[in-house]
Amino acid sequence: MAIQLAKHVPTYVDEPASLAGLKGARRRPGIETAFDVERGDVVEVLRTLRDDHEYQQLMEIAGVDYPERPERFEVVYCLLSLTKNHRLHVHVSTDEVTPVPTVTGLWPVAGWLEREVFDMYGVTFAGNSDLRRILTDYGFEGHPQRKDFPLTGHIELRYSEAEKRVVYEPVALPQDFRTFDFLMPWQGAEYVLPGDEKASPEQAGAPSPAPAPAGKQPENVKTPAETPKTTDTPAQTGAGAPADKQATKEARKPRAAKAAKEVSKPAAGKDPKPKGSRTRRPSGGAS
Amino acid sequence: MSDVRNEGGGTGAHAKSPRRVEVDVGAGGHGAALDERVPGDDKISNYTINFGPQHPAAHGVLRLIMELDGEIVERVDPHVGLLHRGTEKLIEYKTYAQALPYFDRLDYCSPMCMEHSFVLAIEKLMGLEVPIRAQYIRTLMAELTRISNHMLNLGSHIMDVGAMTPNLWLFEVREDTLQFYERASGARMHANYFRAGGVRYDLTEKMIADLGDWLDNRLQLFEDAISLVADNRIFKQRNVDIGVVSRDDAIAWGFSGPMIRASGIPWDIRRSQPYEVYAGMDFEIPVGTAGDCYDRFMVRVEEVRQSAKIMRQCLKEMPKGPVGSEDKKVFPPSRTEMKTSMEALIHHFKLYTEGYHVPAGEVYVATESPKGEFGVYLVADGTNRPYRCKIRPTGFSHLQAMDFMMKGHMLADTTAVLSAIDVVFGEVDR
Repeated sequence: MAIQLAKHVPTYVDEPASLAGLKGARRRPGIETAFDVERGDVVEVLRTLRDDHEYQQLMEIAGVDYPERPERFEVVYCLLSLTKNHRLHVHVSTDEVTPVPTVTGLWPVAGWLEREVFDMYGVTFAGNSDLRRILTDYGFEGHPQRKDFPLTGHIELRYSEAEKRVVYEPVALPQDFRTFDFLMPWQGAEYVLPGDEKASPEQAGAPSPAPAPAGKQPENVKTPAETPKTTDTPAQTGAGAPADKQATKEARKPRAAKAAKEVSKPAAGKDPKPKGSRTRRPSGGAS
Repeated sequence: MSDVRNEGGGTGAHAKSPRRVEVDVGAGGHGAALDERVPGDDKISNYTINFGPQHPAAHGVLRLIMELDGEIVERVDPHVGLLHRGTEKLIEYKTYAQALPYFDRLDYCSPMCMEHSFVLAIEKLMGLEVPIRAQYIRTLMAELTRISNHMLNLGSHIMDVGAMTPNLWLFEVREDTLQFYERASGARMHANYFRAGGVRYDLTEKMIADLGDWLDNRLQLFEDAISLVADNRIFKQRNVDIGVVSRDDAIAWGFSGPMIRASGIPWDIRRSQPYEVYAGMDFEIPVGTAGDCYDRFMVRVEEVRQSAKIMRQCLKEMPKGPVGSEDKKVFPPSRTEMKTSMEALIHHFKLYTEGYHVPAGEVYVATESPKGEFGVYLVADGTNRPYRCKIRPTGFSHLQAMDFMMKGHMLADTTAVLSAIDVVFGEVDR
């Protein structure tokens, strides 16, 4: 193999020569021994590997999502041979609706491993009698490891003091989800950085900025904006929901009203106690 | 164990004919006689109880739906995922260096062994060489982690079957290992110590000397604690012939680590697929004969001694030298270097914003974590983030076998079987 492997990573003996004649499997390029197998042949190939090639153990079934492929999901079976001291993986591809034949008949351990792939990706396994969700919550919807599933999810839960139980709510983000990949734009980033929109000429057919009007323009005419920029309401500031209704109400009051409330009025005469001895109430209102 | 309820309409029958209860102090310690003791009381239907999710013997948040016939377990349906935090999803949104701390939080009883598989997977994809001193330090810390993990597991196993004192003693040893963790990495548990290309800090001479002293003096406490239970009649009654797993079953159910060794298969990744400097280490692999809970316990006990042996060799042979890769595009510069060298500063900035790029490819790298085979299936697409990072937890496969291990045993044996699996939900649920 052309790739130089570091010496300290787990090493095992060379690939057994008998694998070359494995029926129904295409060798996959890469550092490790891996085979592409047609979906229909997977049980037969894995049975051959287990019985004839001494790969006794199924250590893992991993799902991978490649949304750009026609069959977007890949199911990867990681096998281990205890006698030949060798590992390999077998790759099968599928899409959202086509089931993959189960291998629970070969290894009982496949039951939960397939359940996990089903839970995370929505890949179904024909013949698995117990294909329930396993890692996600009871009643969860969606398949979280898919690339189009948002990192923040759709549902959040909290303990409701009013209802005395945990309530499920749609996710409300106080600020937009931000993600930075820090890729250098000249090394493979496939998007236009903010500010670089005009760096390259626009392609034909692209919506272009409105052309400058013909004729001579008066210089430096201060044209008033059609709608002056104001931030009168919280909605315009882009702020989220008010944290506390009472606090917001207080904040909205005119200054004079606020001042009148905060400064104790000796003229009122209702509260003869000195100011310092008054107990503070968390509500902020006078008693 | 809340939520005890009857399935089927057997409630009335209870009141009319109270069942004879056979009191058995041994709680299933007689193995072979189990079949004869199945009560033939047809009027009582099976009932289902809920073990956990909040149960001190569940080792975390495990919910077991147990179908019982009297006190005999007929069927166990473990519900996992209550600690699911979406680690694999989060890792896809982080650079390789940022993803590393998530591994500490998988099996929080053996954090550095979790990091180990991940950094080895990265290094395998990059073809990155690691200085020999860093390899020794990693081996040393991995074995310290094994001792730390086994102290917790052996102690809680003993406590789950009824003895208190050994657990307290073993926790003292574990506390020492956590202090060494802190001296090496700055954190008691979530070390974040291994890096692709080496380890974060060098170990001081004082710490290496102290580790030697500790190995010579403090492990006697462990031997004392084990001597209290290893030949103890009650401890044996609770563990011998409980949860027996044959060699074939162990292979078919994807067992690894102490679980497969207790079933009589001498399989240890440190020996068969050596990584770091394990190839040059002299150590034995303990193997069980019966495949029961007692064997699993004793395999772990012996592993602690072997780990100490490996640590002594590491301390003795560890050469001087750098602890990080010479490749400045992968391993960050030291703080002092950064203050004086412009280039080091640039490297530091690039490594902590963009991070390093890993060539496209797929690898499955497994190491021998204290609980078994901990694997990472890493798909890289050539950018600075993993495209997919599938974590192969050790306890997941073991817990799945809980159903067949528990069949026909008594309810009280659940804790023994669970402890012998050495289950931690940080890694099972991810």
